[in-house]
Amino acid sequence: MRILLPASLALFACIAVGFSPWRAAVRAAETPVTWSRHIAPIVYRNCAACHHLGGPGPFSLLSYADGRRHGQQILDVTQSRYMPPWLPAPGYGDFAGERRLSAEDLALIRRWVTSGMAEGNPADAPPEPHFGTTWQMGKPDLILSVNRPWTLPGSGADTFRNFVLPYPLAQTHFIRAMEIRPGTPQVVHHANILIDRTASYRHEHPDWKDGVAGMELELDGGNTFDPDSHFLFWKPDTPVLEEPNGMPWRLDPGNDLILNMHLKPSGKPETIDAQIGLYFTDKPPTRHPMLLQLEDDRDLDIPAGARDFVAHDEFTLPIDVELLGIYPHAHYLGRELEAWAILPEGKKKWLIRIPSWDIDRQAVYRYRAPVLLPHGTVIHMHYVYDNSDQNIHNPNSPPLRVRAGNRSVDEMAHLWLQVLPINVPKGSPDPRLLLEQAWMEHRLHQQPGDSVALYNLASAEAGLGHNAQAIAAYRAILRDHPDDLRSLNSVGVALESTGNGQEAEQAFRQAIAAGPGSCDPRFNLASLDLKQSKFQDAEPQFRTMLAHCPNDVAAHNGLGIALAAEGNNSSAQSEFKSALALNPQDFTAQYQLGEIAIAAGRPADAIDFLSAASKERPEDIDTRQRLAMAFAQSGRPADALAQLRESERLSPKNVGLHALLSQVLAGMGQLQQAIDEQDEALRLQPQDPDGWNNLGVLEARIGKTSAARADFQQALQLAPKHAQARANLSQLPPQ
Amino acid sequence: MVSRAMIPLLVCALAVASGAQTFGVDLNNRPVTQLVSPGSRAAVLFFLASDCPISNRYIPEIQRLEHNFAPQGIQFWWVYPNPDETTAKIQRHQEQFHIHTNVVIDNKQRLTTMARATITPEVAIFVPVGSRLREVYHGRIDNRYLALGRQRPAATRHDLEDALSALTANRPVATPGGQPVGCSIIPRSAP
Repeated sequence: MRILLPASLALFACIAVGFSPWRAAVRAAETPVTWSRHIAPIVYRNCAACHHLGGPGPFSLLSYADGRRHGQQILDVTQSRYMPPWLPAPGYGDFAGERRLSAEDLALIRRWVTSGMAEGNPADAPPEPHFGTTWQMGKPDLILSVNRPWTLPGSGADTFRNFVLPYPLAQTHFIRAMEIRPGTPQVVHHANILIDRTASYRHEHPDWKDGVAGMELELDGGNTFDPDSHFLFWKPDTPVLEEPNGMPWRLDPGNDLILNMHLKPSGKPETIDAQIGLYFTDKPPTRHPMLLQLEDDRDLDIPAGARDFVAHDEFTLPIDVELLGIYPHAHYLGRELEAWAILPEGKKKWLIRIPSWDIDRQAVYRYRAPVLLPHGTVIHMHYVYDNSDQNIHNPNSPPLRVRAGNRSVDEMAHLWLQVLPINVPKGSPDPRLLLEQAWMEHRLHQQPGDSVALYNLASAEAGLGHNAQAIAAYRAILRDHPDDLRSLNSVGVALESTGNGQEAEQAFRQAIAAGPGSCDPRFNLASLDLKQSKFQDAEPQFRTMLAHCPNDVAAHNGLGIALAAEGNNSSAQSEFKSALALNPQDFTAQYQLGEIAIAAGRPADAIDFLSAASKERPEDIDTRQRLAMAFAQSGRPADALAQLRESERLSPKNVGLHALLSQVLAGMGQLQQAIDEQDEALRLQPQDPDGWNNLGVLEARIGKTSAARADFQQALQLAPKHAQARANLSQLPPQ
Repeated sequence: MVSRAMIPLLVCALAVASGAQTFGVDLNNRPVTQLVSPGSRAAVLFFLASDCPISNRYIPEIQRLEHNFAPQGIQFWWVYPNPDETTAKIQRHQEQFHIHTNVVIDNKQRLTTMARATITPEVAIFVPVGSRLREVYHGRIDNRYLALGRQRPAATRHDLEDALSALTANRPVATPGGQPVGCSIIPRSAP
């Protein structure tokens, strides 16, 4: 007993000390978890963006009554992590806007629901968040609406529908932000916006005004290298897409926006009358991201019942990039979607991991900070598919063999990446061309006969100035598709760039024969004629082209240039004015109208046109020189001088500019400055007899006779028959 | 299957033994006293809530079944069990979803208790046995939803439709193959 007693005391002490945290925990547990103090902050932070009145969530969760009403649901869906919607696993990529409840939040919700959902003191609750019912960023600069509201049936499977929203303006605009208002947000799982540069989808679907059914779509990107650059993806909790500084996206006249919506029936017919609000910026992009795709559709042939079918692709980066965002995409059979990078030094870097894919909750994920991926990094896409009846998303019951395709019952293995080229050496070509080249070579390696990849590769080679490679690639397409209008036209452009005008002309003529109504080859043929001063040949080509494409600004300009060259200034003027009516900012039309006005002795008109032209291209020295000329003709030498001084700043080594400045300064009586400019011109180009003669005249005017004599002698030494220099020399007073 | 189905039947036959009770009120606040009219062979109670997206999504399916089975003597009841439903809310819901047939506001949750319903959407089928009602089916409508957030593109098993087909063909009615999924019914007696 005497031994036991201290021992039991010691045990008591241990309990007291050892369990004191436990006792604290018990005290905390006894503190009731309340809506006001604990739950409302969690809900407001993580749920309210969707769950508010009029929001995309099916019910509001702003008030205590709301929370209590849906308490059991809240408990179920948060513990299962169905809500808030967030598919990526933590630790496999650090994403902006992550919606993942912490273990502490989950524990508080569990305790709140199981303890009877007390309200607590309403004064403890944070203020209810406020959600505007109108445009979040104020009135947009442009609002586009679907042509005809469409009715989503009340029942049935999910529906995919594409709405075409033509861009109605005649000017290019840069878009800094976009808000999509889907009409009835509660029925929209997500929406994707694609830019159709060539209105190809509209032409392919004449009945586009009612929307077009379809899960995936393919668009014609046109003939110029103009890669997709932005993810324009809408999900319910992010109604406004604001682009980072310096990275607006572009809309040109004739473009369409295609709104691709994934809709879920609500139980009653719903009206889909989506609107897109666009916010413009005057500042053109200074950073040019690009979307890259990894894919393995060719290998998708998934046997019925297969549980672990793998699709894989890998791509090696040819340049340094920053990865800004990632968009994994599969259909209903996808189960685990993963992407990682193997850095040049061999280290594995996870880009994303989605352990339990759900197409209904697909999203674009943007990295909190750009992820640096140096050139030589290998990006891997690894997807696992489940085509068994264990996969509840399986659209086929019983399961069927499934291959790649655009329908929801087909499958896909796509991984899109938004990358921003970095560390680009000064003076190197557009780095996106190098990405395109590597990407298309990769695709051709996988599928050698892929004519789209071959065409894109050829365009990239042409853009990089590798005309021989481009011509070879176009000719490879033409071997299989001899009448392929686009390749004929493009090979013509590449041939022209190599100076082979004859074969270029032949290619353009073949393209015109393949598609007489097609405007590009006719434009290129007519432009070639212009370059070769065959104005009478160019004129009818431009006219035929305009019959097919009356709104083509460049064709109006081309016709105007041909007419002006033929001496028909009044018809030329009307073509340039047509061009300006279509695009009031068009540089060429303004410049040409300025030229005509100068020639016609209307310097005041010329000043208007050339000032506008110079505003469009402030660094164009030729325009500034002509503007200076118009000012000089109007008796405004100071304005002329200002234009020339600015030109000189832009191009300090331009000999003609210094000479012109010298003349203007001399005209203004500023003789010493005029001499300085002429000196500079001669320093840059000493072998110019006219320059020496002009310098001599200026020196003579300020009385520097011997310097003037030396100048005229220098002119005569370079050009012994220089009559003016000889005459000037003879007029100098004798030594 | 048949023997498993017998157990709840016996329980219910004991539980519901009422001749002239009221089951709730209609939209005009008149008591509903008869679920199975003379000549009808069964009543289907569809528990729904005006603010539950999942029961809303099932409305067209119930309307389809009503359209198919009402001519065979099956009477459908649209039961609103939640205490926070008001006549105005329900009327608006009816208009939005084009519900034109029997509505019961389960103002005392008698039907909820009788059918042991806990979720919207959930259904129960009762057949008259003399002056009593005997439950022959209780649970989910189909297997589209496995849990909140886990759903098939379309149902592959139509439990309620199978039950109604069996009932109208005088075959034994099977129990549903899984739990109903949706929004909790708010207990009237909750604190």
